[in-house]
Amino acid sequence: MEYLVGIILLLSFFALAYYCIKGYNLMIGFLIITVIWTVLPLAGTMFVSADFLAENEILQFSGAKGLVSILNKIYQSAPEGWGTTLVNVCWGAWFGRVLMDTGIASTLIRKTVELGGDKPMVTIALLNIVTALIFTAMTGAGPVIAIGVIVLPILMSLGVPKAIAMFSFMGSVAAGIYLNPVNFAQYRAFYITPDEMPDFTLGWYAFHWGYAALLIMLVVTTVLAGIYLAKSKTSHAWAAQRRNAASEQRNAPMYTLILPIVPVVLKIAFDFSVIGGFVISGFLALFLCGRMKGTFSENCQLVNKLYYDGVVDTAPLVGFLLTLPMFNSVASYASPYFKVILGNVMPKSELTVCIVFAVLLFMGLFRGPMTLVGCGAATLGVLSNVASFSVPFLYGVFAIPTITVNIGSCITQSWVAWGLAYTKVESKDFLKLSIPNAYITGVLQYVAVFIMLGGLGAAWFA
Amino acid sequence: MTKEEFKDACKPIARGLFGKQGSVRYERPHFPLRPLEQMLMDLVSIDPVDWYHYVFSREPLNGKFNDEQRRHWMEEATACGQQYARRMIEKYGSSDPEKLARGMGMKVSYPTFPEKTDRVLFAEYRVPDTICIYMDAVKKAKKYLAKPEICAILTEKLDVSRLLLAHELFHHVEEKYKKEIYTKTEKIRLWSVGPLHNDSTIIALSEIAAMAFAREIIGIPYSPYVMDVFLVYGYSPEEASGLYEEMMEFVGRQPCDPVEK
Repeated sequence: MEYLVGIILLLSFFALAYYCIKGYNLMIGFLIITVIWTVLPLAGTMFVSADFLAENEILQFSGAKGLVSILNKIYQSAPEGWGTTLVNVCWGAWFGRVLMDTGIASTLIRKTVELGGDKPMVTIALLNIVTALIFTAMTGAGPVIAIGVIVLPILMSLGVPKAIAMFSFMGSVAAGIYLNPVNFAQYRAFYITPDEMPDFTLGWYAFHWGYAALLIMLVVTTVLAGIYLAKSKTSHAWAAQRRNAASEQRNAPMYTLILPIVPVVLKIAFDFSVIGGFVISGFLALFLCGRMKGTFSENCQLVNKLYYDGVVDTAPLVGFLLTLPMFNSVASYASPYFKVILGNVMPKSELTVCIVFAVLLFMGLFRGPMTLVGCGAATLGVLSNVASFSVPFLYGVFAIPTITVNIGSCITQSWVAWGLAYTKVESKDFLKLSIPNAYITGVLQYVAVFIMLGGLGAAWFA
Repeated sequence: MTKEEFKDACKPIARGLFGKQGSVRYERPHFPLRPLEQMLMDLVSIDPVDWYHYVFSREPLNGKFNDEQRRHWMEEATACGQQYARRMIEKYGSSDPEKLARGMGMKVSYPTFPEKTDRVLFAEYRVPDTICIYMDAVKKAKKYLAKPEICAILTEKLDVSRLLLAHELFHHVEEKYKKEIYTKTEKIRLWSVGPLHNDSTIIALSEIAAMAFAREIIGIPYSPYVMDVFLVYGYSPEEASGLYEEMMEFVGRQPCDPVEK
């Protein structure tokens, strides 16, 4: 009977993959699959063999009390546990809004362009570095769009073909996200609760793999942009650009341009609180850029408005993020059944996992079964429960299809979809550039994962 | 309940459950709506050289310049565009942009793409010999140009697609004469460290000269930058009003009153 339940669970996994690829609502999808994966494994215990039940302690519960306790764990404790992650997301979004409102982000971009001038390749390289740095602190569609409306017209005015401008910008945004403390906290929560494994900090991660992942993506994106540019034909366009927002024209003082990376530096160097870093840098930015010159009540309103705007930026993600932990939790009850079906098929060595994931990188596209912000959460649930890998290793394995492929290269990413509409680049033209980047970057990053995160000791296992 | 009625009743539930991911929440800034006729009247009365503030606001290196430099470059680049227009008319024996394009061996296409109002693309030149005139914007403009009061302001000489073509032809001319043309030879030093330095051309000069080139060829009495508002109006009167406001502020004039709701 456990085989039958396992097969039905596997079919539901493929149905979820199809659902995600079709672009349907992720929050509802994961809620439905959570219910299915709750009912089948728990109801299945009434029909499975005694040996199977005896081998899997997790499926042993007594009476209604035990059942309610499991349900509470899945539907209450798990999403509550993600509250700590969500707070980071909200403060990060506020900080992003502060950098935009004070003009720090736009000034940084403009000053960078003033170094490169009319040499497109130099400007692309410099802008990629600065964009990546900015997005180590900022995240969400709002900030990407705010920076995109500055960077993309500049690149296009330099004669860079729009598809190359798009691909290069989106690639460097994704590169920055490899060191973004908010994203790190989000993805870390897929593997362990915030209190578990205290040594697995952003600083540890950055030194052991994060810097390498960022550098690989940045260098490959820039080199590929150079190759594409050398092959392409320069273009000039007559286009009317919308009126610039006041914040985009604002000039921030030079010494404030360091502020975007302060929270990340504090976190990596001293393991200082991420939110503390956002608050310190955010208020420093507001004061030093002269945005707090009003009355106390006006200043309060400004801070409040920026917080509101920031939280709204992240709102579409929040529902999904709060449904995921239910799914992560329920996956452990489904795993004994998956083990029966897939136990002998799933890769068990780190080298095999790296090779298989590198080959299947394309499955991170279109919210497929490799990306954590898609159906990959289910794959992770299966993989981590049928085989034993260290948490940092699994983090790296899934971060690549999530960040490099999904966030940086896929048209289902909200800000990529915006960029396509903004620049009028055809989806296929963008994918022609972004998929080779995803593969070259991804393969190199898997090599780095295997070398830098492979073979970790028992302390790194959940 | 019939089968059809049942289907209709289920539709909203299915949409709620399986609706596609919501598109990105991004709200464009809002501007008070202003009457097209009045906006165009105001804009055509701006002296072509006075557009330098608006033109340079889209220049990536703008932060390095002062007003004196901007004005000087505006005058020089305008003169360059006019001079090359006369040269091309003489060389090819016609001031018709289509004949000029044929003479220059250009491949011109007229695709129709729907546009978004964040950045409305009018026309594009791709090195070495391809020009695309995006007709969606042009067709929308034609509707307004058919009104006698608008036509009286923009004059009968205005043919939008020819104006766009003439503008893009300049970029081809610029490529051809890149070793000698002002827009490519005028450079500024961005930085220098010892023997290392980075000299750059100013992209806005190309656009200024292209506008002057197009204006000379078509024979309109105002700056073609007016088209930024006129062509965007077809997509979003509000966005066009925002651009108009910005242009008026740049020349130090008061924008006309908004349309009463």
